[in-house]
Amino acid sequence: MRIDAFALRKPAAVMGLLLVVVHVALALFSPWLAPFDPTELVGGRVEAPGAEFLLGTDVLGRDYLSRLLHGGRMALFVTFTGVVAAVVVGSLLGVAAAYFGGALDDVLMRICDIKLALPGILFVSLFITGFGESFVVLVTLIGLVYFPGVVRIVRAQALTQVNLGYVKAAQLRGESAASVIAREILPNTLDVVYVEFAIRMSHAVLLLSTMSYLGLGLSPPTPDWGLMVSEGVGQLAFAPWLVLFPAVFISTLVIGLNFGAEALANALGMDASRGHVGGT
Amino acid sequence: MARAILRRLGLSLLVIWLVTVLVFLSTEVLPGDALQVSLTADEAAEMSEEDFARRREELGLDRPAAVRYADWLVAAARGDFGTTIIGKANVTDVIAYPLRNSMLLGLVTALVAIPAALAIGIAAAYWRGRAPDFAASSGAILGYSIPEFASGNFLILCFAIWLPVFPAVITAFTKDPPAALLGAAFLPVLTIVIGSIAHLVRLVRAGFIESLNSDYVERARLAGASRLRVVLRHALPASVIPALNSAALYVAGLLSGIIVVEKVFGYPGLGLVLINAVEKREVAVVQAISLIAAVIVVTMNLLADAAVMALDPRARSR
Repeated sequence: MRIDAFALRKPAAVMGLLLVVVHVALALFSPWLAPFDPTELVGGRVEAPGAEFLLGTDVLGRDYLSRLLHGGRMALFVTFTGVVAAVVVGSLLGVAAAYFGGALDDVLMRICDIKLALPGILFVSLFITGFGESFVVLVTLIGLVYFPGVVRIVRAQALTQVNLGYVKAAQLRGESAASVIAREILPNTLDVVYVEFAIRMSHAVLLLSTMSYLGLGLSPPTPDWGLMVSEGVGQLAFAPWLVLFPAVFISTLVIGLNFGAEALANALGMDASRGHVGGT
Repeated sequence: MARAILRRLGLSLLVIWLVTVLVFLSTEVLPGDALQVSLTADEAAEMSEEDFARRREELGLDRPAAVRYADWLVAAARGDFGTTIIGKANVTDVIAYPLRNSMLLGLVTALVAIPAALAIGIAAAYWRGRAPDFAASSGAILGYSIPEFASGNFLILCFAIWLPVFPAVITAFTKDPPAALLGAAFLPVLTIVIGSIAHLVRLVRAGFIESLNSDYVERARLAGASRLRVVLRHALPASVIPALNSAALYVAGLLSGIIVVEKVFGYPGLGLVLINAVEKREVAVVQAISLIAAVIVVTMNLLADAAVMALDPRARSR
């Protein structure tokens, strides 16, 4: 892996990475930063910003600043867990599909086709209708939605490697398939895997916040930016900040992730543009 | 070429069939059954074992899953998706008008977004690395990073509340004629168009850069073709191929966008029906909508494949 440090110093890259760092820090440290418990009723309904509640209170009388600071915590935890699972499983399957070909390859490619045919929102809706919206279900669904894409991309990268000399040499030395995959091919697909992780994170955050907004993702009283937008729309004319703040927070997170993914792809000498269609 | 298209057609049918299996498995077989998920805890507590058995028989849930799947598939192929649990309405009737309304939204969006994205993408590629490219590429990242529920509500705030030009909530009804719906659909369309252009611009730009660097464009340039002719006649047809290859992803993204803006603006389409159906655990409605969406995506992808073959002779032999 060769990193082009110059690409990481571009203004867009710096901005993206900075946004991601700020958001991750916020998610990690919000319990110590927030002045109140984000789910506790501490004031009247929709109080205006003031000395006691810096950003006022929400429709139920909870401190808005505290909810805002906590709003990415659960979403990032769910998406990070799901996407890590998707990338690990997808990468292993992708390399295996390229190496073994045959029936395994065919089955995995058809799974990718199914995923392509069903938009993420519908896929998640379908399973939530049957399984409900628990934490485990959401993490599993994020994993299921994003692993086929990883399989497809990693498989394509691994296919460029399987017939190269160093792989043949390892096979001739009598190494097992598992060892060839793990020690020879996988390390040469890692660049692609890192970029995939960054891109899928941005997609997953977008998908989960959208599901939460629609009432099909994280459930109340969880402080979550998608949920907070949907809880605040009734007050849009009187207290627009109830919608604007969470909208800005979720948008800056996804913008940061996308600029970060782009910077990473450029630093590794790749073009990230093709993987980016159809975010949700 | 006919053989290649037939092969894709077969593959598409296989994918549709696999989607029907997934749709059925995810909602009917794994977690108990349609009856259980449709009941609230209170209702379930009040019902005796006999009540359960009777309701299962009414709903046909006492038969083996494979039989139910086969029945459902045959009926669905004929356009019959069963009845809703609450109200016993025919699912086909429930979704017919909303489907039309959503397709209207999608059609208008595509008609606006595709030409706009082509123009912006080509400009970005032509002035690669300069100001127009920087603006288009950064704008595209911003465009698909901002969730539709955020940009939609922001547009409501700007153009319905601060500057009351449009109504905040759409006042059109499910069975209104298309003209009435379109009149109310300005902000919803604008919301999806932004994301839609953002997705397409990057593809068009990448494809156009590739074709500008190709031998045949170089040859046309050396042969003395004018700049405009090089761009429009030689580089343009090849530049849409990467975008066409991503047609399935684009259509899927468009459908997602439609679902979200329908909720944001209260537009009477399939997205609203879907969200209500998931909340009320109306399995038959969710199944029908998922299946329809998959058929739309796969069909559009097939058409795009055919278009690629028409544009690119190399694709015909693959």
